[in-house]
Amino acid sequence: MSGVRTSAAAAAAIVRRDAQIFLSYPFSFVTPLLSAMFGVTLFHFIAQLVHNPAVGTPDEYFAYVVVGIVILGVLTSAVGTPPAVLRQELVAGTFERLLLSPFGAVRSAVCMMGFPLLRSVVIGVATLAFADAAFGLHLSWPDTLLAIPVGALAAVAFAPFGLAVSASVILFKRAAVVATLVISAMSLLAGAYFPVSLLPGWIRWTSEVQPFTPATELMRHLMVGTALSESAWLDVFKLVAFSAVLLTVAGMALAGAVQVGRRRGTIIEY
Amino acid sequence: MTEAALGRTALMPAAPPRPELPVLRLDGIGKRWPKAPSPVLADVDLTLDGGTLVFIGGANGAGKTTLLRVAAGLIEPDRGEIRVRGLHPVRDRRRYQSRVGFLPAGTSGLYARLTVAPHLRLWARLALLPRGPRERSIEAAAWRFGLEPLLERRVDRLSMGQRQRVRLAMSFLHEPQLVLLDEPLTSLDEAGGDLLTGALAELASRGGAAIWCAPDAAKASFDRSYWLEHGELVPA
Repeated sequence: MSGVRTSAAAAAAIVRRDAQIFLSYPFSFVTPLLSAMFGVTLFHFIAQLVHNPAVGTPDEYFAYVVVGIVILGVLTSAVGTPPAVLRQELVAGTFERLLLSPFGAVRSAVCMMGFPLLRSVVIGVATLAFADAAFGLHLSWPDTLLAIPVGALAAVAFAPFGLAVSASVILFKRAAVVATLVISAMSLLAGAYFPVSLLPGWIRWTSEVQPFTPATELMRHLMVGTALSESAWLDVFKLVAFSAVLLTVAGMALAGAVQVGRRRGTIIEY
Repeated sequence: MTEAALGRTALMPAAPPRPELPVLRLDGIGKRWPKAPSPVLADVDLTLDGGTLVFIGGANGAGKTTLLRVAAGLIEPDRGEIRVRGLHPVRDRRRYQSRVGFLPAGTSGLYARLTVAPHLRLWARLALLPRGPRERSIEAAAWRFGLEPLLERRVDRLSMGQRQRVRLAMSFLHEPQLVLLDEPLTSLDEAGGDLLTGALAELASRGGAAIWCAPDAAKASFDRSYWLEHGELVPA
């Protein structure tokens, strides 16, 4: 029990460290909030041009895309930010401390996802509030509250991608391009801005082999009442399955990368 | 060694040390970097019993840092065995690391935007110290290296010598059995050097051991001194 408590304290310490560093810069939240607001505003006007039965009325498309923007923010936090933080740790020499700590580098790298995900939730809520206040986005109550546990599950399902990119950082030292590629591919293939039914048939299978599609579909259904293409429980099952399988694989990849780095002697090179 | 310092000795460790085993045992350690014409470490043997302070000197690039990194469990040797109190650096990683304190060379390894206190708190938690000992260890480390007036100062606003004290405090904070110091006097003034000497005396008094690496002989007194030449340890 004491071991669980000390590990929890270590995990919380990493999240707090990342929060303290983030908040030490003035106007830390302003830039991402403004960016989200500009995105929402842009799509409000683009939505006025959209008249396609696949996405419904302009208002329905606006609601569709706002949820996509929020989930894309969570994905970016899970996939892009932790590897970038890890890279900074390597350059600053602080990763060495994590490696030499009893808590360990692998668990530390996992915990580095904590603060970016929390931040993305705050920005996501603010984005929805802005879309509601400025453009009359209609959220479904009380179903929207169910989006909180589903969002947490989605974050867990996205985490393995971030861990895999972090493993690449440890092995190859630069992996930002991989993170960008993953995020771009997901935004194209998983229905962030348009339904996957519009994708050509030969590539549509990609929407079935990653957790972003069921996450966005479920979140949209809960928050703005978009119809589901399949059962909600099936989407939940997919997210759980993706989480279980991918987390195991990504955890092994990260531990393997640390071990290879130790063996080669390149673990703290940058 | 002051009484106060000696009074803050038994703060940790998670599991009782095994004093019948050497603090550090390096057997036949060899390491060659890819494409290097000769190994950086060739058949290094070193055993440190409790209370031993060892100096290892050597020219730039002789392999001192590599040797310390190997002993710290940071990198694996190509051959040879490493044990700290009988523990293996990979198989017993957590217990191994709880017994090792490592000060890397240079002044890196700190978060520029954080103040001193969060560094100590973070490291105490990463060392998996239970709550009670954790708070006492943080206080003791701050006191031992004269950091109390600096606790609320941001690291990037400290002098290099003050940063080195923070790094030293983090290396000693969890009351390790083995402390590995890579050029520890970097940027330290005389008072800082005295604090380090005091911390080493306290380490030795509780049965720990230390290796101090630097290009030139340090002014602290050691039980043994070696030079690292051509990948081998030669008694000085």
